Amino acid sequence: MGDIEKIAASVASLQESFEAHNYICSEQIATAVFLAYQLRKPILIEGPPGVGKTELAKTAAEMFALPLIRLQCYEGLDESKAIYEWKYGKQLLYTQVLKEALDEVLQGAKGFTESVKRLHEFGDIFFSEEFLEPRPLLKALKEENGCVLLIDEIDKADNEFESLLLEILSDYQVSIPEIGTVKAIAEPPMVFLTSNNTREISDALKRRCLHLYIPFPDSDIEQRIVAARIPEVPPALRRQLVEFIHELRTLDLKKQPAISETIDWARTLVLLHAEALDPKLVTDTLNVILKFQEDIENVTSEVNSITARITK
Amino acid sequence: MTMDRTISNFIRALRNADVRVSTAETLDALGAVELVGYRDKAYLKRSLATVLPKTVDEKDTFNACFDQFFDFQDVRGEQSDSELNGEQSEEQDAEDSESGDGEGGSSSGEEPKGKKKKSKSKAKKNNLYEEEEEADLGPGEVTNPKSSLGQLLMANDRVELSMAMGAAGEEINVRDIKIFTQKGLYSRRIMDAMGLPDLNREIGDLRTSPHVPARRLGQQLKARRDFLREQVRDYVEKQFLLNADVTGKRLREELLRKVKLSNVEHRNFRLIQEIVYKMAKKLSALHSRRKKIFKRGALNVPRTLRHNMSYDGAIFDLHWKSVKVDRPKVFAICDVSGSVANYARFMLMFLYSLDEVMPKVRSFAFSSDLAEVTELFNRNKIEDAIAKTLRDYGGGSTDYGQALLDFKKNCLDDVDNRTTIIILGDARNNHGEAHAEVLKEIYDRSKRVIWLNPEAKLAWNTGDSEMRKYGAYSHQVEECNSLMHLERVVGNLLKQIA
Repeated sequence: MGDIEKIAASVASLQESFEAHNYICSEQIATAVFLAYQLRKPILIEGPPGVGKTELAKTAAEMFALPLIRLQCYEGLDESKAIYEWKYGKQLLYTQVLKEALDEVLQGAKGFTESVKRLHEFGDIFFSEEFLEPRPLLKALKEENGCVLLIDEIDKADNEFESLLLEILSDYQVSIPEIGTVKAIAEPPMVFLTSNNTREISDALKRRCLHLYIPFPDSDIEQRIVAARIPEVPPALRRQLVEFIHELRTLDLKKQPAISETIDWARTLVLLHAEALDPKLVTDTLNVILKFQEDIENVTSEVNSITARITK
Repeated sequence: MTMDRTISNFIRALRNADVRVSTAETLDALGAVELVGYRDKAYLKRSLATVLPKTVDEKDTFNACFDQFFDFQDVRGEQSDSELNGEQSEEQDAEDSESGDGEGGSSSGEEPKGKKKKSKSKAKKNNLYEEEEEADLGPGEVTNPKSSLGQLLMANDRVELSMAMGAAGEEINVRDIKIFTQKGLYSRRIMDAMGLPDLNREIGDLRTSPHVPARRLGQQLKARRDFLREQVRDYVEKQFLLNADVTGKRLREELLRKVKLSNVEHRNFRLIQEIVYKMAKKLSALHSRRKKIFKRGALNVPRTLRHNMSYDGAIFDLHWKSVKVDRPKVFAICDVSGSVANYARFMLMFLYSLDEVMPKVRSFAFSSDLAEVTELFNRNKIEDAIAKTLRDYGGGSTDYGQALLDFKKNCLDDVDNRTTIIILGDARNNHGEAHAEVLKEIYDRSKRVIWLNPEAKLAWNTGDSEMRKYGAYSHQVEECNSLMHLERVVGNLLKQIA
């Protein structure tokens, strides 16, 4: 616990610690994590795909040495998959097994009313924690030393699901009708939500979160990211390839290359023992950074001029 | 306390700039400020940027607001005490020192050395935009100003001056400022209230005066008046930031909702788009509740019991509650010829902004020949798709008959009793064959045919309008030429679809 506090004591120490875990982050990102920890607030992270939104949560978990609990959102996700579910199978099995025991219990009971009364004495055995299957959100609340809860791609879930999240996000608790309210045991989880902005997130949800927008990094930071991830890349090549990617991002593409593509490309170039970019090399490896045939075709004609601009 | 007021003032400014900030977020901001402090401005900005704005657009607005607001704070809070006094006397100083060694201007008091230097550069800058023909009159005596504002300026008392400014502001109700274009007006009114006309007259007189000390006074008064103008502008700017509310924008939005869409000017397209989006969101919220109850995870008890009867009542085959909703379809057929293009633009925008609640929309555009543009909308952003549609299919003279025939040929088979067809057009067929019988066929097969006509009802059936023929085979005929109409029509549509 002390460790976490030490790391999260200031923005600078956070940034350093992220860097030690190979996650190069801007001051803005570190500030957001700092505030999230200090104010005990969830962070909603938005940005184009592949800028390291999910990675941020993963690295934070690693850095704070906390378990990471991840909830991947998709259309149709509901409380039975996200919060809890009753173990119907177990309940049914037990009723079958206990059928005989039931006969014993009911032996000697006169009439229907008395039987029901006796049954009532056993309470709601079948709706106790024994029969409760916790799903990610409930699990996160039950972690004793706190955890990092990653709710990934919240924009993929339905509108109604957002409302389900409101309680857990603002009060770190969930209400289960049959049992009552389950609160975070000791330390509330650190919650990261990510969104690719395929639809607008509701105001109610946004209000409860800090908001962090991660854009594509500037060339400087991206070079450092590449250096941290793939140290084998020679510095000159590193600069060239990052600048090439930055040029590509200014073009009108169907899918812009993200950081993950930059890293893949760097890895490829290292495998090919490249020392510097040249048009042929770029054309041959274009399919690593561009994922649509249309984009590849569009860029191929530009490769010469962009490469010339960068290697001059 | 004062800190808190700074933040709440800032939040007011943000709200005026249309960033939505709730009370909860205000509290968060205060929490963040407590942690971060005011010392490091960049740090403060980064911190507040995670707490207050919640979309990318809002972040941009936030950045602009922050820079403006806290820059302002600096000038007002820290420097201003010495600034005005200093600067004014410095101006004189500068004039003095420029004009040679000083006996010292008669009105400027003794200044500390350091300040003089700073002032000199400033005054020089000031002089840059002074008219060139300013004669060098040298130092020396100046006469005393007669107008009250002149006296105030020459008295060089900052407190009194800003009090006068405040009083003038109150007098003309500067707090009522609503729209940014009013800034100039209000600045002027404040200056007038402070006695600018008198001062101007006096300056005019002085500058033509043969008497040198009087002309010197004229010059000085002029410089100070320009400086005062800056001050007043700043003051109004701040009042605008704090007091203007969104009514200005709301007013414009209100107007745009009612204005005829063909009259919307190009520069307002963006705003209209925002309004369309807002309306669409409202409708979405209204109607999304009725969406499917599918895969709720609830046990369907009767069904389960029924199915398990054959197992002697031992329940293992579970059945869940699920309701499948058939997806109704909407076909939008838009006339995109010159006269109707603008309406088509906004209707398509509306339909596609509703994709969350609107079932599958297929859209068709025609002026003479009909073409399906659904793909175009799926692939591109709404604005781009609309632009492309208008470019590729717009223009040309309308031929409704041909369009209907095309529709019949290509997709009449897809029309079934769950299909709603919206036709947007003025039904002006250039005296061509109307082919109303095709519309009848469509009418018989579909759930509804809705004809939206952008012309006023009075103009229907006049000239080459075939509205009567087509109207007979539509379930609903509506006049539709403003956003308000559009909202109503689409709202009804959603009700019927659900």
